[in-house]
Amino acid sequence: MKKFWTILRFELNNYFKSKGFLTVTVLLTLVLMGVIIVPTMVPGLLGDDKVSESSTDSGEQADTLGICVKTDQITDVDSLLSGMWANWETYQDESSLKKAVKDQDVQAGFILNSLSDVSYVVNNKELYDSYQDAFVSTLEAYETQQYLMAKGLSEEEIVSAENININVTTDILGKDSASNYGYTYILVFLVYFLIIFYGQMIATSVTSEKSNRAIEILVTSVDSNSLIFGKVLAGALAGLVQALVILGGSFGAYAAVKEKWGGILDPLFDIPARVFVAYAFFAIASYLLYAFLFGALGALVSKTEDISKVSGPVTMLYVISFLAAIFGMNDCDGLMIKVASFIPFTSGNAMFIRVAMGSVAAWEIILSGGLLVASCVLAGVLAAKLFRYGTLHYGNPLKITTALKNMKM
Amino acid sequence: MKLEVRDLRKSFGGNEVLHGISFSVESGNALGLLGRNGAGKTTTIRILMNVFKGNAGSVLLDGKSFDPAKHQIGYMPEERGLYPKKTVSEQLIYLGMLRGLSAKKAKENMKKWLAKMEVSEYENRKLETLSKGNQQKVQLAQTLITDPKIIILDEPFSGLDPVNSQILKDVISEQIQQGKLVIFSSHQMSYVEEFCQQIAILNHGDVVLSGELKEIKREFGRDRLVVSSLEETPEELAHRLRDTFADLLEVEKVQKDRLIIRKKASDAKLKILERLVEQDVDLEFFGMYEPSLNDIFVEKAGDEA
Repeated sequence: MKKFWTILRFELNNYFKSKGFLTVTVLLTLVLMGVIIVPTMVPGLLGDDKVSESSTDSGEQADTLGICVKTDQITDVDSLLSGMWANWETYQDESSLKKAVKDQDVQAGFILNSLSDVSYVVNNKELYDSYQDAFVSTLEAYETQQYLMAKGLSEEEIVSAENININVTTDILGKDSASNYGYTYILVFLVYFLIIFYGQMIATSVTSEKSNRAIEILVTSVDSNSLIFGKVLAGALAGLVQALVILGGSFGAYAAVKEKWGGILDPLFDIPARVFVAYAFFAIASYLLYAFLFGALGALVSKTEDISKVSGPVTMLYVISFLAAIFGMNDCDGLMIKVASFIPFTSGNAMFIRVAMGSVAAWEIILSGGLLVASCVLAGVLAAKLFRYGTLHYGNPLKITTALKNMKM
Repeated sequence: MKLEVRDLRKSFGGNEVLHGISFSVESGNALGLLGRNGAGKTTTIRILMNVFKGNAGSVLLDGKSFDPAKHQIGYMPEERGLYPKKTVSEQLIYLGMLRGLSAKKAKENMKKWLAKMEVSEYENRKLETLSKGNQQKVQLAQTLITDPKIIILDEPFSGLDPVNSQILKDVISEQIQQGKLVIFSSHQMSYVEEFCQQIAILNHGDVVLSGELKEIKREFGRDRLVVSSLEETPEELAHRLRDTFADLLEVEKVQKDRLIIRKKASDAKLKILERLVEQDVDLEFFGMYEPSLNDIFVEKAGDEA
């Protein structure tokens, strides 16, 4: 046990003394603190003199659109066009409209073939092109209005029928996914970065002694379990310390200037203790699980440059877990996230999301947590065995199947 | 202390590489494990150090099963390397502590051994900035930092220049004098000859010769004589001996400047000398044959390969 601490301290020092680690930690902390604090020091940017400009329509320039009416079903073209906010250019025939679109005289154009048949002309259709939908709604509204007017309603009656004010008050009894979304997203991302960055570093540190050939001295000086656990836990701890410093800096900074932000950032920082405890547990446990998996990978290779060759599957596994979590956030009581919250490889994120945003029973949390911890232990044992087996294996990376077969579990 | 290796066997992937290795060595003695490349020296040492296990056989210390983890052993593996990016002192202290020293003691011993190896000036330099020979001396300092009672060195001389080899030899000799038990492997016979009381020659996974070096040499030289003449070349002399001395001796080897002959009866030495004088051979040298370890090694581990 004493040797384990010696190893842990030595390996931790490797991280803490590295310039990269220090630079990243200090820089990220300062940048985040700056992002939180600096805006509060710029007068007029936040709070005080709000509504400096009513940043609606008036400021912006309306888009220029072309229209070509080929049907006489529309009696009042002006009334139709006034329903959509744009500068309308009228064209007599299709080809001149298309030419105008092509020459970029207008952003886009519509050809009205009949009341129910519209052609949309545009140069490059962008992802968020909204002209078409806007025009169709305008056309529908126009037709409804025409229909109602034909039925004898006056324009005023129609307007008052459309503008019914319904007052909505929300009373959230469970969780407000909308306001939980912010911090949940950030916390999930944080684990993602920890695992992707530190996973590789842990694998590298496990391989390093094989790479520099000090391994034989080490395994004859100290038991290999102390060695691999010391290395993996040192990497994991270094990552956690870094995350804590960065998070702590941000939270501290926000606590100091919270008033000035007027609660705008609360969705990011106002994390309930219950959620934070669940996060701390599931994040750390799944981080450790992946740390051991990466450690086991490191044990399979003998040169640090070979790590990228074997780390793909584990990285992929985590990316899948991450994506499942991100998609699951939109449906946090759905089947997918429920299943994912019990599979140890994905449960870290999935269970945390369910706790933060969905509804989940206590027994589910305990079961999932238990499974995760058990897998952590198993992964640790596996890593230790692979490490001992792979000690003197130099050359090409070992195949995991070969290693498992040969080492007599 | 007496370390005994009994009938070690080891196979890799169905291919037996050690076919029953046995030898023993006591404190205050050095055992040289000799053999050509691939003879099984490193495999034997690794089993001894429990890097992996043998398929059969046992290692005993004073008659009890030997567990290297329970003893202070200075082990210098053949695959040697340390942390290139760390300073010399940092890694020596770390490894010393891993092997059970307190931080203070590790630092003390680090300084002591670096001084002995004459590399104190590099204490705070990163290992990778040292020359290969100096790195090897740091390795040896690492091996001895715990003042171990048992010292096992796998090819300690490879890569050292004569001056550094001398420093290493002095250190090992001193350790032997202090009553340490030393086992080392080598294929450089001259070093082994200098301070090994005992040897074991391995060839293709078998011990082909083992025991006290002096005994072995005497045994090996028995019934053999060396003779050379001032007037005749060794070839001419060999011709003469084969013609007229056939009843007393056989010519075993014609060397560049001398002949090695084997007498046919144990009391034939005087008769041979008398006949040489009778025949007026102008003797340059006539005496007992003392084989070098190299001769023995080549004969035992050489051609039959």
